[in-house]
Amino acid sequence: MGRPLPEQQKRKRFERLVLPHSGTAYNLAIWLVRNEAQAEEAVQEAYLRAFQYFDAFRGENARPWLLRIVRNTCYTLIARNRELGEPDVFDEGDHGEETVAPGAVVSFPANPETAAIESADRELVQRCVGALPAEFREVVILRELQECSYKEISAIAEIPIGTVMSRLARGRRLLEVALDRHVERKETGT
Amino acid sequence: MNCKETTRFLHGYLDAELALGDALAVEEHLQGCPRCRTHHANLRAVQTAVRRHIEHHAAPASLRARLAARYGDEDGSTAASTRRWSGVAAAGAAALLLAAVWIGAGSVDDRSKRAAQLPAKVVVHISQSGSATAALRNLANHLEASPGTTVVVVAHNEGVDFLMRGARDASGQLYESAVAKLKSRGVDFRICGNTLVRLKFDSGQVIPAATLVPSGVAEISRLQTQEGYAYLRL
Ligand SMILES: [Zn+2]
Repeated sequence: MGRPLPEQQKRKRFERLVLPHSGTAYNLAIWLVRNEAQAEEAVQEAYLRAFQYFDAFRGENARPWLLRIVRNTCYTLIARNRELGEPDVFDEGDHGEETVAPGAVVSFPANPETAAIESADRELVQRCVGALPAEFREVVILRELQECSYKEISAIAEIPIGTVMSRLARGRRLLEVALDRHVERKETGT
Repeated sequence: MNCKETTRFLHGYLDAELALGDALAVEEHLQGCPRCRTHHANLRAVQTAVRRHIEHHAAPASLRARLAARYGDEDGSTAASTRRWSGVAAAGAAALLLAAVWIGAGSVDDRSKRAAQLPAKVVVHISQSGSATAALRNLANHLEASPGTTVVVVAHNEGVDFLMRGARDASGQLYESAVAKLKSRGVDFRICGNTLVRLKFDSGQVIPAATLVPSGVAEISRLQTQEGYAYLRL
């Protein structure tokens, strides 16, 4: 297993283990870069890297491994576009993590109601998840949309499991308040 | 377990990531504490809203075709693969790929150290809506490979959905027929009564093939500790 696979064998294995995840890869990319053209670019670049480093991949479940590459590629792309002064499609929001210590207890004024949250519609959910700061958005997407385990999220985002949990908790708390608040506004027509 | 500890464990509970003992302790606390119950209900509502409404962005066919042309095996199977992927994308659920499911189960095995190899008796824990399709398919495959295995499926939390009358999978197939097929091969389906109460289901909505147990988590714990079942979460 130590030496590189013959080309034909490598392609077959790559086709079987990595190619079927292009949908998941694209989905994560679009939720990170928030732009279709850039998501396509990120996925293509990620596959290029994945193929390059495929000899080093062991095991049968390539999905977390591929998603980690996709995630890195997305952030590289975002940083590069920033340097080039291209329009910033990457919405940071106003709750960056630097203001919140991991696991910190944050008090919210609102007292969200279950029924209000339950009545959230499709459009509202897209908007609220899209407005989450990136570090919370990515764990929410990996958990709720891609159904990754904490262990997989930890591997993909390269953060300890404790951080996965605190970011997920913070992300959900932000969503709880945002979903509740928007529903209220809609009801009162403001 | 007190309120503070419960708050800390609530997300793990919601995500079925807790060890069984902790899950039981959370469940017990929730039963006696209205405040934590509200907190839990809100988090569950957030999770349900996000899962129900969040958009799955399907990869454009042109992107898939480009990747296939570039990285597909060149022996002519590329066309077939492209077709296969379109199917996956159409279902909008790449997350249901079998490999991912078994690895998910593996992470639990690390913790319980009981089910490194699938043994004679297995309790399968289904706790998420949408994971039933893959779980049932996996079970069928597994039974094909080792027909002697005794399997009990325990549905809990959002995982109870597929045992409701009229429930269908992503491709419109009734779950009930898949369940009946597995049941005819000896698989036993049990559904968590606590969950039904919490999600405001009536027991009459449950398909007759499933048996009601008071608590799914307690049932799993009992099967593990008293009857020597290995634990798998799907
Ligand atoms: Zn409490």
